[in-house]
Amino acid sequence: MHTLLRDGLPCAALALALSLSSPASHAAGNEIVLGASVQLTGPVANTGRYYKDAYQLAVDQINRKGGVQVGGKKYTLALKIYDNQSDVNLSVRQYTQLVSKDKVNFLLGPFASNFALADSAVSEKYQIPMVQGGGASDQIFSRGFKYVFGTLAPASNYFGSTIAMLKQLKPAPAQIALLYADDAFDVSVAKGTRPLLEKAGLKAVIDERYSSNASDFNTLLSQIKAKQTDAVLVAGHETEILNFIRQAKSLDVSPKLYSFTVGVPSEDFRKALGADAEYAFGMTAWLPSENLKDDWFGDAAQFAKAWGAQYRYEPDYHAASGVSDVEAIVKAIEKAGSLDPKAVRDALAASDFQSLYGHIAFADNGQINLDQVVIQVQNGKPAAVFDGSKFLRDAKYPMPDWSKR
Amino acid sequence: MDLLLQILVNGILQGGLYAIMALGLALVWGVLNIVNLAHGAFIMLGAYISWYSFSWLGLDPFIGLPLTAVLMFGVGYAIQRGILNLVARAPMFNTLLITFGLEVVLTYLAQLVFSADFRTINPSYSGRNIDVLGVTIPVVRLAASGLAILLTLVMWRFLLHTRLGRAIRATAQNLPAARLHGVEPRHLYAVTFGLGLALAGAAGGLYGTVSQINPYIGATLTAKSFAISIIGGLDTPLGVIAGGLVLGLIEALTTLYVGPTFADVASFGVLVLVLIVRPSGLLGRTA
Repeated sequence: MHTLLRDGLPCAALALALSLSSPASHAAGNEIVLGASVQLTGPVANTGRYYKDAYQLAVDQINRKGGVQVGGKKYTLALKIYDNQSDVNLSVRQYTQLVSKDKVNFLLGPFASNFALADSAVSEKYQIPMVQGGGASDQIFSRGFKYVFGTLAPASNYFGSTIAMLKQLKPAPAQIALLYADDAFDVSVAKGTRPLLEKAGLKAVIDERYSSNASDFNTLLSQIKAKQTDAVLVAGHETEILNFIRQAKSLDVSPKLYSFTVGVPSEDFRKALGADAEYAFGMTAWLPSENLKDDWFGDAAQFAKAWGAQYRYEPDYHAASGVSDVEAIVKAIEKAGSLDPKAVRDALAASDFQSLYGHIAFADNGQINLDQVVIQVQNGKPAAVFDGSKFLRDAKYPMPDWSKR
Repeated sequence: MDLLLQILVNGILQGGLYAIMALGLALVWGVLNIVNLAHGAFIMLGAYISWYSFSWLGLDPFIGLPLTAVLMFGVGYAIQRGILNLVARAPMFNTLLITFGLEVVLTYLAQLVFSADFRTINPSYSGRNIDVLGVTIPVVRLAASGLAILLTLVMWRFLLHTRLGRAIRATAQNLPAARLHGVEPRHLYAVTFGLGLALAGAAGGLYGTVSQINPYIGATLTAKSFAISIIGGLDTPLGVIAGGLVLGLIEALTTLYVGPTFADVASFGVLVLVLIVRPSGLLGRTA
């Protein structure tokens, strides 16, 4: 009953929105329209907002700097964004609407792998390129699709740099626990992590999948404690990881190290935990460094400043990834010298430029490859600790007992 | 062995928290015959009230609970008088629709007002625990469970032995007879719904102290409360304690022996089993 109504109501809302929006095509005149369906409300809205904010900031900045040159003619960028209410089915309908009714020129992605997995089928079917910075699961890129490009580093290698670091820590952790949620992204992470652990000669004494949105980790934490696990790797969502850390504290579970796929780079995650966020490890493929030059924003540090001034919160890698998606499309249009989806698709496949997010180039399957830097919350801020081969600063390791903090 | 003991304790403590979450739902369901689909959203609202009184007024979450409960009572009284009484005698489907609508409105209003940021109520003692024979017992969870059981007992005695409690039960059992004795049903319904929300508010405050708060926690909490009410039975408030403990223990043991993804399968399996074997719940009267 509940789900029936849940699915029914957004439908009605969509119908209403449709009847109100003007039928005129946005792609006419001197505008290039980029379309996306993003989680502005619903359980994933917390991260979804990065993408809307990123697309908007990028489009505004590119327009301010002269727009897009296509074959001697100047175009401005426009955005068409729908709120998918964190509902995958609704997002597929909205992408279909974007290409078939709104006739947008190109597509930007939603947040999260399960969304990108479903939505990229629409771009493939209509042969409209989608550049998405929200889905990292290897599944998205293993289907031979030609029209989806991804700017998040592959999920299977999220823990790669962390495991390399484990080998260099003293005392070396031996017993590992791997926990992961049962969605497309986190399952890909776990799948990729197992062989990495094996290769590093590390043993996963606990390897458990849990339900997305789980809030009770007491049993798993008690097992982690009972098996005297040294390092805990968790691939999950921020809500789960908040609960995990809070419950670890209340049960006095102090492994030598724990690392999480999400949360640590995000400001509101650290704020929600306060001092309890300290020592948590994570990873990011992006830090706001002055060395990352960009044609429109100057460099990543200036971008971070512009972002903070505009939105009053810190950007993280989701934000930078989203901006680079818009930039990749613009670069490809200019290189192709046309708005033809096929020509732009080919230009995207040959992308090769420096952006505030890093070097943008796609492998044959459409996914970028970026190194993950290991970060740790130190004095309330995420600090870059290990770059995959060497330490950038001392890791605070082993993590002190909760009782001694 | 130690691990099993620890898991059992975890399950019991979780069960206590579940009990207080379900108490308000079961009360409103049992007395007013309204399955309040917005119950979880009201728990969320209570959690935010507690969060604000903790972070802005510096009120300890446990001391702030009465304030949260009183505010939520007011909200509940107003909603019952202003909205739900309009469908008091209507088919159940109408109340389901209205409370579902309330859930949607509350959730999205919450995102507008509070944003989708995560919050936690994090007093200095929130991570403290005591060690009993090698079993770690988190203090906040212990207090929350204790409070849940206390509130349930108080509610039980209240319904059995006070004039107001008897009037509430009388209205539920035989409306014309209650009216003949001078009971004003509109007022009593509103008081009952207010009590249900006050309990939801208190549950929210406790939930925020052990978990995280965001505008979307409601739906899952409604589902859990619903299951607990059915497992325990609606005839007495003590049912939610039974239901909460059963659910907490089943989830913990399934996670340990079968796997975390099976916890929901097992708990809803038990729900179905109870519906087949004892349709009025573990503590319900058999027909």
